[in-house]
Amino acid sequence: MHPLLVIGVLASAAWAAAGLALLHAEARAYGQRALHAAPAGDPAAGVRYAFTGAMSPTAKESVREHLPSYLAGLAYHAGIFTALGLLAITLAEVSLPGPLRLLVQALLGLGTLGGLSLLLKRALKPELRGLSTPDDVLSNLLATAFVALAIFGPSTPWLLSAMLLLLYVPLGKLRHSLFFFVARRHLGAFFGRRGVFPPGGAHGR
Amino acid sequence: MAVELEAQLGALTEETLAKGLEVFRHHLKEAEAGFLNACVRCGLCADSCHYHRTEPALENVPGRKLDHIAAVFKAHFTPMGRLAPGLVGAKRLDRDMARAWVDAVFGRCSLCGRCSLNCTIGIPMPTLFRAARRALGAMGLVPEDLQATVDNSLRHGNNMAIEREEWVETVEWIEEELQAETGDPEARIPLDKQGARCLFTVNPREAKFFPLSLQASAKVFWAAGEDWTLASDAGWDLTNYALFTCEDDQAAAIVKNLTEAMTRLGCEVLVIGECGHGYQSARWMGPEWLKRVFPFPVVSILELMDGYLESGRIQVDPTKNPHPVTLHDPCNLVRHGGISEPQRRVLRRAVSNLVEMAPHGVENYCCGGGGGQLAMSRYRGRRLKAGRMKADQIKATGAKVVAAPCHNCIDQLSELNKEYQLKVHIKTVAELVAAALVPPTLAEAQP
Repeated sequence: MHPLLVIGVLASAAWAAAGLALLHAEARAYGQRALHAAPAGDPAAGVRYAFTGAMSPTAKESVREHLPSYLAGLAYHAGIFTALGLLAITLAEVSLPGPLRLLVQALLGLGTLGGLSLLLKRALKPELRGLSTPDDVLSNLLATAFVALAIFGPSTPWLLSAMLLLLYVPLGKLRHSLFFFVARRHLGAFFGRRGVFPPGGAHGR
Repeated sequence: MAVELEAQLGALTEETLAKGLEVFRHHLKEAEAGFLNACVRCGLCADSCHYHRTEPALENVPGRKLDHIAAVFKAHFTPMGRLAPGLVGAKRLDRDMARAWVDAVFGRCSLCGRCSLNCTIGIPMPTLFRAARRALGAMGLVPEDLQATVDNSLRHGNNMAIEREEWVETVEWIEEELQAETGDPEARIPLDKQGARCLFTVNPREAKFFPLSLQASAKVFWAAGEDWTLASDAGWDLTNYALFTCEDDQAAAIVKNLTEAMTRLGCEVLVIGECGHGYQSARWMGPEWLKRVFPFPVVSILELMDGYLESGRIQVDPTKNPHPVTLHDPCNLVRHGGISEPQRRVLRRAVSNLVEMAPHGVENYCCGGGGGQLAMSRYRGRRLKAGRMKADQIKATGAKVVAAPCHNCIDQLSELNKEYQLKVHIKTVAELVAAALVPPTLAEAQP
């Protein structure tokens, strides 16, 4: 690996982290809403449920009714996280043992298929196309390329794709890598406080 | 109506738009700023919306409705929205966008929150739609009939402009009916009873159109031997349509009627009658609008009845309600209020055959009448069309009776009953309990 590539990836990662931190700080600057109504349930239990059971097919109709999209999304995100893990160990100059390499390649392959299928769905379904912005397409292409190129192991094109992806993280919808957690925490706290999350909360016997 | 809206939009000045934007910005806190950064436009929320289910169109996708709001947020409040609006879908607030906001948040949303549970990310969309409604209010774009309902509450202390004398006469008349029904000349509907344990509040529609509903609640209190009262002045109406216009100062003024009546009468518990938005307004939003902790508990009459039955304070004979009954879950009571089980426990005791809808509970479909839709005549056609989901659910149960613990929902369900030929009776939970009540003297005699 050319040292400049390594520096480029590290600088891009720092940019992504700093950008997300700045976005988070900006959101926090809007201030917290003071709450006065007496809680009926436990906000912390609501948050735990929001990140677990509330995302399962049994609790979520949108998952139950769209299992292929759900599975594609899972595969896609598993691929992205695998590629990021691979990037980290590549930069640390650690090599993967043979059997693990196969598993990683399988995850990356599935992730690529997941990303491409979601892109295809976005392009083919008129309603989803109408909902889309160029940001949606660009974000998908950057992430999918990063996952797909990782299949072939460390290479200059892969590291360049990593740089582009990381540089774009705070600029477009990839910022949901942070705000997914922010939004879900607030959702869980809201419904937890009202005794809606977890099911059978405040008024169950 | 469309002409009227266009005239209002045409009259918008740059100053008015700026004011709307300022109000919108002021409503946002950390949570909302996070939500507006989070949508990935996956479209999986589409089928969670009863508008989209009954009319699959892009404008009915919750994510699309949200996108109109997020576009403005990005354009005015984010660097990327200013630098590359085309890339991230940022659009400034102008007349066209104001029109899109009105259509999305008033015309295609009942604030039911079903999309929140089904959102991939977990964005509680009604929170953001409320921010938009509030901004539209600042621009004078709240539908007139919805605002008129709020104005009635502000001027008259109740949303139907019922004068005190008429209200008191109605209560006295219902009291006579109650005495005749129970055969107990001591059965009372107390008005302004100082120091009563419970202050009971009702929907003005009960006084105007559904006196049997109030009579049924009174009969349950009578059987339970409850120490309760109604207020004769402001403080008897539980509704608060400012929950739907999202004008918090007006909402605060309306909910203050309830807190002042509690203080005036020295009651311990504020009891909210069967009304979804009334419960959310008093229980959850009231303390936030008034920015203070209430020094008394706010409970639904459903919780009280559940407690009466659990403790044996009242007894019921389910054979008095022999027909299959299904239960409608008002969104403001169940999904946003957290009251899901008490009414079920009550009905399992009070009716012979409770048939649940699919889905039900927090996953329920909105009847279509929420979010102030019943007070916005310009969207009546859409409201009835969107209500088809609920109509189909009811039909599928085969029930002859729909228990609906919300008077707004009852109005919408009554229209759906005609529109979709459901041939069902629609009743409150208290009406079913009252019908099944074992009179206290008989109950005492039973082992």
